[in-house]
Amino acid sequence: MASTAAAADSGLPPVVYNDDVVRKFTIAAIFWAIVAFLVGVVLASELAWPQVNLGLSFINFGRLRPVHTSGAIFAFGGSALFATAFYIVQRTCHVRLFGGRALADFIFWGYQFFIVMAALSYVLGFSQGQEYAEPEWHLDLFLTVIWVCFAIVFIGTVMMRTEPHIYVANWFYMAFILTVAVLHIGNNIALPVNIYTAKSYNIFSGTQNALVQWWYGHNAVGFFLTAGFLGMMYYFIPKAAGRPVYSYRLSIVHFWSLIFMYIWAGPHHLHWTALPDWAQTLGMAFSIMLWMPSWGGMINGLMTLSGAWDKLRTDPGLRFSVTAVGFYGMSTFEGPVMSIRSVNALSHYTDWGIGHVHSGSLGWVAFISFGAIYYLVPSLWNRSGLYSKKLAAWHYWIATFGIVLYISSMWVAGIMEGLMWRAYDSQGFLQYSFLESVVAVHPFYVIRLLGGLCFLSGALIMVYNLIMTVRSQRTNPGIEPFSGAMPVAAE
Amino acid sequence: MQENLGDWIVGILVSVLGLAGLFLWAGAQDVEMTIFGLALAGFAVVFVIGLIKRHYDEKDTVHATAKARVNPHG
Repeated sequence: MASTAAAADSGLPPVVYNDDVVRKFTIAAIFWAIVAFLVGVVLASELAWPQVNLGLSFINFGRLRPVHTSGAIFAFGGSALFATAFYIVQRTCHVRLFGGRALADFIFWGYQFFIVMAALSYVLGFSQGQEYAEPEWHLDLFLTVIWVCFAIVFIGTVMMRTEPHIYVANWFYMAFILTVAVLHIGNNIALPVNIYTAKSYNIFSGTQNALVQWWYGHNAVGFFLTAGFLGMMYYFIPKAAGRPVYSYRLSIVHFWSLIFMYIWAGPHHLHWTALPDWAQTLGMAFSIMLWMPSWGGMINGLMTLSGAWDKLRTDPGLRFSVTAVGFYGMSTFEGPVMSIRSVNALSHYTDWGIGHVHSGSLGWVAFISFGAIYYLVPSLWNRSGLYSKKLAAWHYWIATFGIVLYISSMWVAGIMEGLMWRAYDSQGFLQYSFLESVVAVHPFYVIRLLGGLCFLSGALIMVYNLIMTVRSQRTNPGIEPFSGAMPVAAE
Repeated sequence: MQENLGDWIVGILVSVLGLAGLFLWAGAQDVEMTIFGLALAGFAVVFVIGLIKRHYDEKDTVHATAKARVNPHG
């Protein structure tokens, strides 16, 4: 169950890659995508019509919400990152995964075990109460073991490489792996009540706890949801387009400037709070500066298509990837704007934030993953191409329409909420009660639900298309169908 | 050689995790820890059995291949 690198072009000896673990993570990513989107749709329904929770504690909004966020970020996004990291590092380093098959299998099954256990603990009502870091101490420790194994395999593979150069995608993956390890440990230093109970208390309290939490939270966005997926962008767009990266030098500048600036931006989540003003200003300043490296990366991704734009008509996977880069550019402009303190005074705590997050998570993270998955499945299962490009195109348009519905409704709802909450009359009284703002956003919550349904429907079309692709006739056993085009350096 | 060593290291690591799961299950004071401890122990057992099974499957394959080479018609 391992594929062999085509050695004819490169002159290097053939390597038997461990693609078994890549296949498993790819399947897991597809499975968790459907789960995360489905739970998202249920939550959108609960927000529009609260009685949808049926009065059951384990499916109320508070418990299901972390199932959705963890499902989307760590289960779907994480599995896609593991799959692509293992696929890319073997090919760009021209060596089999370090550590043997058992270690790779342990990473896969251990990570899936963590996801299931975390989801179960949320619905049972156990949580640290920290956004994107909800799992309690025992799950955090287990994840740390898995993550250290991941780092050993990835970095070990890079160190064993037979290529002299470390391709830029691997730099992004290494930044993702190492920084997420530091973030995860730093934000989860907690003392359990005793080792036989799940409840624990974070070592930091008050403002310090909030600052560490958002140092973690924003860098989870920066290093889990951005750096890792940029690694995906730097490999799959050149491969699918059959073109080299537009500017390799720009990709290096992109890497170092992005990782240097992201780490300071967290305090913008705590504007107008007890956090000292200087720390808020620091977060705001770095967030605004972050716009430039982000757009440098976006330009690099888009310009890689130079001379190959016609492929967008014929390759739906590439269309997903390139649209993802467009959404990346949009989100990384919107983010710095929202980090400005005066803008944040309007946007914070409103649905504008939810719209912003979803333009990034659906438009960037999910689309770049779909692009990679549409590339990976025929490659990993030795098929000449997708079962149906038409179905992939349907997926693309339905999902894009869903995102537009989602983010536009949340923009309108969010700005309206912000304006209603700050409006006061001639006598200085608040003009609207909170309830009035809830009633006012109800139609937009329904539109958001429709957007989510579109996105889920598109993903179900993808699942059918991929199943049929795998069930279609096998071509060129043992040889990767895409190995002929080698636009990526060091491969 | 590297594969065998890796199997042993991972097998021992997972066994230790499984033992930890048993201890957590035995002393659990809430439903979350009960489920986690039991599931961790179960995960470790299934994973290690999988490692052992794969080891003997690979040995069988090597034997079958060697046998076929010695006696191609038998």
